[in-house]
Amino acid sequence: MALDVKTFVLDNGAYTEKCGYSTQAEPRIIPNCITKAKSERRRPFIGDQIDDCKDISGLFYILPFQKGYLVNWEVEKQVWDYTFGQDVFNIDFGETCLIVTEPYFNFTSIQENMTEILFEEYQFHSLLRINAGTLSAHRYHKENPNELCCLVVESGYSFTHIVPYIKGKKLKNAIRRINVGGKALTNHLKDIISYRQLHVMDETYVMNQVKEDVCYVSTQFDHDMSVARKKGKDNTIIRDYVLPDYTVIKRGYVRPLEETTGKPKDNEQIIRMNNERFMVPELLFHPSDIGVQEMGIPEAIVHSIQATPEEVQPHLYKNILLTGGNACFPFFKTRVYSDVRAFAPELYDVSVTLPENPVTFAWHGGSLLSENEEAPKMIVSKKMYEENGMNLCLEKFDV
Amino acid sequence: MGDKRESSRVKEVNQQRVLDKAARKRRQRKALDALEQDNFHDDPHANLVMHKKAPKFEETLESKKRNRRLKSEPFKQRFRKNFTVLLEEEQLNSSDPPNYLSACVPPSKFPEHHFCSVCGFPSNYTCIPCGARYCCVKCLGTHRDTRCLKWTA
Repeated sequence: MALDVKTFVLDNGAYTEKCGYSTQAEPRIIPNCITKAKSERRRPFIGDQIDDCKDISGLFYILPFQKGYLVNWEVEKQVWDYTFGQDVFNIDFGETCLIVTEPYFNFTSIQENMTEILFEEYQFHSLLRINAGTLSAHRYHKENPNELCCLVVESGYSFTHIVPYIKGKKLKNAIRRINVGGKALTNHLKDIISYRQLHVMDETYVMNQVKEDVCYVSTQFDHDMSVARKKGKDNTIIRDYVLPDYTVIKRGYVRPLEETTGKPKDNEQIIRMNNERFMVPELLFHPSDIGVQEMGIPEAIVHSIQATPEEVQPHLYKNILLTGGNACFPFFKTRVYSDVRAFAPELYDVSVTLPENPVTFAWHGGSLLSENEEAPKMIVSKKMYEENGMNLCLEKFDV
Repeated sequence: MGDKRESSRVKEVNQQRVLDKAARKRRQRKALDALEQDNFHDDPHANLVMHKKAPKFEETLESKKRNRRLKSEPFKQRFRKNFTVLLEEEQLNSSDPPNYLSACVPPSKFPEHHFCSVCGFPSNYTCIPCGARYCCVKCLGTHRDTRCLKWTA
């Protein structure tokens, strides 16, 4: 038996919220922030309203999340008001069950606030608070019914989590967190480009696009390094990136290798991306490069698996699942595989899965979960909340 | 006469200030905190001045503001705590692992890579005063002129 009311799935990320009714084919992705533009002084933009803005240079961000945890409810409420309201989904709260995601080890006070706001401010019919990784694992098991274990690597905006799941249940003592995420990468890129070439500290939005357009994970680090040192035609890594000026060029773009000269044409402004292209994502694999004394992703995977019972270890190595925005970097999967292969005991098979869209994978897991027969047992309805209070929610939702 | 003949290079080295461990750590922490920042510039709407000739409805505006503030006061107090405060609270309430702090990965077992703080290529040398890495004389020059011992915390 599935749920008897409509289900709305909200994967509430620190950078974007992936949201939509469980019956939709794809979620809508809305930036989870309020932004202010220099060119548009009359109003701040909530979520994806920023798409209406023509000149987004020097965009100012107000984010509800801090280090991956929801702290600024005033901002979050405005974004939710917009998302749930008539501009976007026009939700009938009394007839809707909400599945919302939370980070691992979410603080009790944040859980309480969230429950209270969703039930008392918005008056949802029922609620399920859950980790995004649990949804990913759910979908992975649906797609691979023969596998009982799964190791979710969730590399998002604020941090990267590595979580082993056995039969859909997370092993809490083996959860590992690396405090490096997409935000640190973008800020680091801004930092080095501003120091070496052009002041771009104010251009988070543009530099994030640069990162997404030209950065990749190196699979032969030393080789790439030596190629990047070369001059002229021998350097096959260097690229010119044409920055947007928001009059003629609406969005920045990479110039193909053949046209890379290092000289701007006409009135363009360019930045040269050389070793920056792979040095920035490299932070995920060697956080110590910027002085974060933590393991990289492959080492942390092994570290996490070693904390699990020995009999499940081979199954975890065989079912590594990559999700989150950083998994979109080219060659991310290849690199994770080759490094884990090198670190893992040789008698275990290693297999890494990269979904087609690692960003929305968890959301789809949520929409699958709503059709599951277990779902009605997992949710808390508003009625139950009113009768039993907050403690029921804290007990039932194990995040 | 004797001490006047001493080479200027030696003199310069002696005058150089060398940062101690604590100061280097402080600088590093500062750099890491910067990676967490949302914005590096000020709110572009912070000092908006409406048109001079625009009519000012001060009284009405103010009373409106006051009303709103009164309403949202308890909301603000309860729901606006920053990350550090929340983490402290959480540690007080339930301190047995696994929790947020215990989930963090330990330092890597592998040695650190060293990259030139100027050009990003592998580096073999360390700047004596501040401990930053550099790869060649040219980069050292740039480093000294721009970042070394400047903006020290």
